[in-house]
Amino acid sequence: MADHSAEEMTPTPGERITGFFKRKDVARTTILFFAWTILFIVLGLVFYPKWMPIVMSKEMKSAESIMIWFTVISAPIAGIVLAVTTNAFLDMHRGDTPPPEGPAIRTNGPIVAIWSIGSLLFALVAIVWGLLEVNSQAVAASNDAKSAITVEVTGSQWVWSFNYPAQGIETHDLNLPVGVPVVFNVKSADVNHSFWPVQLGVKIDANAQVTTVTRTTPTMIGPIEVKCAELCGLYHAYMETNGAVMSKSDFNAWVVAQGGHTS
Amino acid sequence: MSILDKPQVSSRQIPNPKQSLITRLHMGTGTVVGIIFAALTYYGLKSMYVTYTDKVADPMTQHNNNIILLGAMFAWSIGFLVGIGAFIGPWRWLIGKDLTDEEILYMAGDGQGKKRYYKYCTDHKVVGIQYLVGVMTLLGVGGTMAMMIRTNLARPGAHFVTPTVYNSLVGLHGITMIIAMIIVATGPFGNYIMPIMIGAYDMAFPRLNALSWWVLFTAIPVLCSAWFLGGIPTGWTAYAPLSIQAGPGMNAFLATIIIFAVSTAVAGMNVTTTVVAMRTKGMKWNRVPIFVIGSTISVALAIPAFPTFMAAMVMTSLDRTFNTGFFDANMGGSGWLYSNLFWIMGHPEVYVILIPGVAVLMEIAPVFVRKPLFSYNAAILGFAGIAGLSILVWAHHMYMAGWSPALNGPFMVTTEMISIPTGLLFLVLIGTLWRGKPWMKLPMLSIMAFIWDFLIGGITGIYLSDVPADSYLHGSMFVTAHFHFTLMGAALTGAIGGLAYWYPKMTGRMLNERAGYISFWLVQIGFNVIFFGMFMVGAEGQPRRVVDYAAFYKNSNLVSTIGAYSVGIGMIILLWAIIHSWTKGVVAPMNPWGAKTLEWTVPYPVPLTNFDELPIITSDPYGYGKGK
Repeated sequence: MADHSAEEMTPTPGERITGFFKRKDVARTTILFFAWTILFIVLGLVFYPKWMPIVMSKEMKSAESIMIWFTVISAPIAGIVLAVTTNAFLDMHRGDTPPPEGPAIRTNGPIVAIWSIGSLLFALVAIVWGLLEVNSQAVAASNDAKSAITVEVTGSQWVWSFNYPAQGIETHDLNLPVGVPVVFNVKSADVNHSFWPVQLGVKIDANAQVTTVTRTTPTMIGPIEVKCAELCGLYHAYMETNGAVMSKSDFNAWVVAQGGHTS
Repeated sequence: MSILDKPQVSSRQIPNPKQSLITRLHMGTGTVVGIIFAALTYYGLKSMYVTYTDKVADPMTQHNNNIILLGAMFAWSIGFLVGIGAFIGPWRWLIGKDLTDEEILYMAGDGQGKKRYYKYCTDHKVVGIQYLVGVMTLLGVGGTMAMMIRTNLARPGAHFVTPTVYNSLVGLHGITMIIAMIIVATGPFGNYIMPIMIGAYDMAFPRLNALSWWVLFTAIPVLCSAWFLGGIPTGWTAYAPLSIQAGPGMNAFLATIIIFAVSTAVAGMNVTTTVVAMRTKGMKWNRVPIFVIGSTISVALAIPAFPTFMAAMVMTSLDRTFNTGFFDANMGGSGWLYSNLFWIMGHPEVYVILIPGVAVLMEIAPVFVRKPLFSYNAAILGFAGIAGLSILVWAHHMYMAGWSPALNGPFMVTTEMISIPTGLLFLVLIGTLWRGKPWMKLPMLSIMAFIWDFLIGGITGIYLSDVPADSYLHGSMFVTAHFHFTLMGAALTGAIGGLAYWYPKMTGRMLNERAGYISFWLVQIGFNVIFFGMFMVGAEGQPRRVVDYAAFYKNSNLVSTIGAYSVGIGMIILLWAIIHSWTKGVVAPMNPWGAKTLEWTVPYPVPLTNFDELPIITSDPYGYGKGK
């Protein structure tokens, strides 16, 4: 997209650049670029926090921030693509005869190079961000291993069951104490299910004969929903249950009321 | 192939019907023989494998039922091919009486008018039209199911269909659309246009070309039979062990995929061979039209991908018939083995769908902007990069399967890398648009819509490829919305653009423009409304594939359903335009768009061997524009 205009009277690079931005199509594309970029940034910053459930764990926070910030980082790229497209749309030619021949630009080395390196950097940001998040979750999991409570989750067509071995209780509601790391050991009694405590932002499939593990630390008191995220047959849609993140004393009271013992 | 040695033959001699069986075979005889084969197999197997219909819960009975049904379905497919004459050529070769030149000409449909569309016709243009009609039928069936799904989801409470029917709708909509989308561009345009574009008399293997279509054709009734056998409960992914537990309808799904995989293998080999071996003189690799490059990369990617799907289906069939336990954890098998085999096909497959759609639009863009394609090399590298990386990313569908959490990181890296070649595709399109005055016809509008839809699909794909975000989003409506943006918004929009572009060459008429515009806006606006609604409920936590949902999600779901009706109406208008213009449209000139590729140098109807004399190519077809 460098300057290929017919004018040959711009001797210095500075003047060439200002001349480039004074061109009508470039000026309009630039304005469109800022408009689209800002729109995408606003979409990312406003919509996801509004749509997504209340953040009740660190994992949920990291999912939400990825969605918000990746949108923001992508915004300039979306901005360029949509600005050029909108600019072309505004320049449209109508009628039944082809438009006049355009400039014969076959390629532009610097632009292709900048674009390729730009996408590479963009991909690297996404990769490094993701790997750091995965790593920090793994580190947190090993640090929290000793203080964690364990919940044995069993999915069966079409019910979730929760067994708290240390507390000696078995329920169909998932109640958890706030601020205490929890390890979910998940298995299935029949076909595949996927254990999804929505507000906690984690998920893991339930398989027959093998145990899968996911971990989280609830950070806020409030109700949670547990859903099944893997099509498991007839009543898949209704395979859900409720629960809550509660204060430690409320949790202990609930455990006792269920006939269990607090440690 | 002797037809290729004699392009000058234009006689209308039909071989003596008493001598040749070929002249008496068509779809009808195929159907009759297919049904006879199926019936014989059904009753034959039924007498061997005892079933107790009053004890359907008995596993032995279920296994035996599955053996009988699968046997009958494969017998139908083979019987149909026998009955339509697919094996006449090999048989005659076997007994040492190869087909005569007249018979070969007859098989190419010479001088048979409309009848040849119902025959085992080796002419690539006939096969292209057959694929086009097949694709439109499949899209119609799949679209109807989509409307039923959205109608049911308009209000909470599952008032429209029962959960059994809903689950079947979801699965059959999925597989019908996947099959339709795999062939949507490479079927009609890859067969009809591509050989002319590269300056060939026909495909490299004309009989295999006919075989690929008719094999696919036999899969359609098998797929439809799933409805009458109780449907499928598994979704199109058919995860084990649910697929092993599933009822008789599952057999139809398995047989469909196995038959379809044969068709794609045959078509894939044929297309790649044709492009490698049959380009006309002077068409070096850097002069090949980008649509041909894209289609070739797409089918070449399908060649290694689909066999794993077929293997997974064969193994599921064996589990369901002979209790082999490949995927049954209770017998030492593994459901994860199935998921891996499925997605080793499944992720290349989405690019098999996407790449031809993009390539069509890249072919169109220079024509309507009157500028050369911007950076042809970047386009090729973009396609090749996507194809190469796509075989290394399959387990991003399994981040949350618990299969190998330690592999999540590596698969995240390869998946995010795909944004680099994908970025190149965007660059090629916007680079071509830059400083041009796009001729705002239907194909050009499709390019604009594609850019928007694919951008949204791409950005949402970046979150999904990131493990911590996927741990929230996986299995939600957000995923459904994401892949509809890429497959429908991008690939189907590309194919519709291609249809509007090549319609004059394929039918000799111009597509009704007014209907085309109305349909375009209804479909594109409706499409965005549907899937923005779905992004919203997905982000709010509604799982996908649910027959019912909490009242909390009702407004966005209603919005999605309204959008779906807009798409439905738009598609009906497009269908009307296609059918109406085919016979009543304005007669098209030879080159209505002023394009420079070879297909526009031949008249309509395109002669049997396309060219009297093969053209010689001296440059790529993108020499538009002035200056430099």
